[in-house]
Amino acid sequence: MADRSASDRRRHKKKIEDAIKDGVHHIVAEESIIGQDGKKKIRIPVRGIKEYRFVYGDNSQNKKVGSAPGKNITRGQQVGKSKKPSPDGDQAGDKPGEEYYEVEITLEELTHYLFSDLELPDLEKKTLKNVVGEKVKRHGYRPHGIRPRLDKKKTAINRIRRKAATDRLNKELIASGSEDARDPEENFPYRENDIVYRHIKKDIKESSNAVIFFLMDISGSMTQNKKFLARSFYFLLFHFINARYENTEVVFVAHDTNAYEVDEEKFFKRGNAGGTIVSSGLDLVHEIIKKRFHPSSWNIYCFQCSDGDNWANDMEKAYKSAETIKNMCQLFGYCEIEPDQERLKWMSEDSRMSSAYQTLVSRQFKIVKIHIKEDIWPAFKKLLGKRAQTVDII
Amino acid sequence: MSSSSEWDMKFLSEWDDKIAKLAESEGLDWFPINYEVCDYYSMIGHMSYHGMPSYYGHWSFGKAFERTHQMYNMGAEGLPYELIINSNPSIAYLMRENPAYLQLLIMCHCVGHSDFFKNNRMFQNTRPEAVIQRFRSAKKRIQAYVENPNIGIEKVEKIMDAAHAIQFQIPRYPVRRVSHKELKQKYIDLINNDEHDDYKDFDLTRIPLEPEYDILGFLLEHARLDEWKRDIIEIVKVHSAYFVPQMQTKIMNEGWASFWHYRLMHKLEVPQEYHIPFLKSHNQVIRPHIGGLNPYHVGFEMFRRIEERHGIEECFLARETCHDVSFLRQYLTQEDCYDLGLFSFSLKKDKYTIDDISDEDGWKTIRESLLRNVGTNGIPVIYVEQVEDSNILTLKHEHDGRDLELQHADEVVTHVSELWGDIVKLYTNIEGDTWEI
Repeated sequence: MADRSASDRRRHKKKIEDAIKDGVHHIVAEESIIGQDGKKKIRIPVRGIKEYRFVYGDNSQNKKVGSAPGKNITRGQQVGKSKKPSPDGDQAGDKPGEEYYEVEITLEELTHYLFSDLELPDLEKKTLKNVVGEKVKRHGYRPHGIRPRLDKKKTAINRIRRKAATDRLNKELIASGSEDARDPEENFPYRENDIVYRHIKKDIKESSNAVIFFLMDISGSMTQNKKFLARSFYFLLFHFINARYENTEVVFVAHDTNAYEVDEEKFFKRGNAGGTIVSSGLDLVHEIIKKRFHPSSWNIYCFQCSDGDNWANDMEKAYKSAETIKNMCQLFGYCEIEPDQERLKWMSEDSRMSSAYQTLVSRQFKIVKIHIKEDIWPAFKKLLGKRAQTVDII
Repeated sequence: MSSSSEWDMKFLSEWDDKIAKLAESEGLDWFPINYEVCDYYSMIGHMSYHGMPSYYGHWSFGKAFERTHQMYNMGAEGLPYELIINSNPSIAYLMRENPAYLQLLIMCHCVGHSDFFKNNRMFQNTRPEAVIQRFRSAKKRIQAYVENPNIGIEKVEKIMDAAHAIQFQIPRYPVRRVSHKELKQKYIDLINNDEHDDYKDFDLTRIPLEPEYDILGFLLEHARLDEWKRDIIEIVKVHSAYFVPQMQTKIMNEGWASFWHYRLMHKLEVPQEYHIPFLKSHNQVIRPHIGGLNPYHVGFEMFRRIEERHGIEECFLARETCHDVSFLRQYLTQEDCYDLGLFSFSLKKDKYTIDDISDEDGWKTIRESLLRNVGTNGIPVIYVEQVEDSNILTLKHEHDGRDLELQHADEVVTHVSELWGDIVKLYTNIEGDTWEI
């Protein structure tokens, strides 16, 4: 008979993956993942795929009955701790207390889950090279495979795990004096189920010429909190782009009253000082585009993070520069960081960059705002969501 | 596995005849059984679908599969998996990996189950002749909704998930549902012949006229539903109703089957070398689960004792007329409670603590706790109270001392409002106070 449960298992798996995705969004803003390398494992809590029913709560009014023939038991004796359902296997799945389980994934997988619904908009294929790159990539495990791909470690772990479980059961059997108890010294051979092979998959990536500019305000008004939010936002963008496109150049530009092209590390770790002249940063971006990334052969994306503060006399200049860059870009994303507790202290609504930029908003120019870390993911999605439309202000 | 060479189809068929002859002479009366030999993997597949050859697709069966599979890999292997469904003819599965003696044990066990299905009162409305066809046709319809571009899997799952959430909020005993119209007529008649003014203030516009325990049935009658949604709810309801008798007789059914495999295996003239492994497997099946309750253990012990005390005729009578609740109420004695080592326990400050043990003072309260948890008694009773003015559906929990688990209740209420298409409220008691969800 064919494998009848295959499609239902697939649906179940998809639900788990969706739950992972959900869980992922909650931890996007957690500092622990920011600035880690791709190999480190991250534990994320995943909501179990539960089937809800009306059930009784597990509490003192809800008395259940167990059996322990021949055992010396007394009233008041403790027979277990919460969260460990009684060995009545049938009901275990419906009990509360297993709401979450944790899944360990790498940053690479994390980005996969995070970004699977997003893409850089409008990646026009420009004139130069436009090849499709092919890469072989590890992709999970399979019960069958060729000998060289046998994963000995994992196979051994499977056997050990099975042995531990059997021993546990066996202990119980010995304790209950059952005749089925096996001799613990007995051999414990490998089973077919233990054996796993590494699986590989061809990973096709679009390879196009794209350059991404990250432009960040590092002036004195950018407090630690704001910088953290900006950093998280860029971190997502950076990993998104890395995950998606093979040949993408990334340019980091930091500015206060002057602008500097910096490397990744400096960009994320640079200290702050001084006033703000936004146009300085924009001009540097413009200059770099002119010198190195001609718009006829490059897809250009520019993302700017700022707290909205600019030197008043620079507003018009900044607007003009942003407009010029916008016209060269596939997408200009402006993200205004404005933590709630620091809000409206000293700045009026219309002296902000976002107000100045308002008339630029179009398909190529988007504005998002971030107040708290929970905004980061929605902002990110609004910026890059497949169906994201024009005026997206959170 | 090495043992598979010990038997072949001819072997099974010969023993099937012998078992049938013996069982008949013992007074068992069962549906013909079609055995299907399958490997462990398909066995788990069948188990995830309650053995039904064509159950509709739903992700929860995929989940069930993964869980069983994992349990098997985690050391529950080697257990004699048996699976038989209540149909006429019955369908039973034998695992290819089983050694010869185990196939015989399982076949005897299946005869016991099939006899139970055929004779127990709770099963009288399950229509075992038509069940396969019924499930197959339902599966096809659901598949069509999934493939229908206007509906699709997401929508089907949404309705299915919601219907599953209340799938056992249906009548617990076989009664025909009285429609709103019939009920209304009944009250009109009562009002017309109302000599003592008993129904003076009776509100005929109220929906439902009486508390409605069949929530799915109520929704089918009163909710505004697309045809396909109605069909899915109907399917879930009919399928669930089919399984209710099995939930209500789990202990008896497994007890009866174990009682008979034990008895038949002893009377069959099986090869000498089967005896020890048979006893081993038997003991494994009916071993007590320390701290838990193994229905095979309790059921087997009960039938064994009933036979000892009252003779085999009484066993046959019980298998015909009882369900788990009435069975235990009638036959479970203090001695049994003591021998089975029954105790009641509950959670106190996140530790499970024993409340009572089976001594002179404790055994009756233990029996009561047990009766509250067997069969469908472990499922809270919820009924439709009323549809309020602005189409708010109010449900009520029939509180019996046990509080609901609120997070679950909350999610279920959301599911019900998905089906009702409007606001749904649930009233219950939590720690003595009225609680509204």
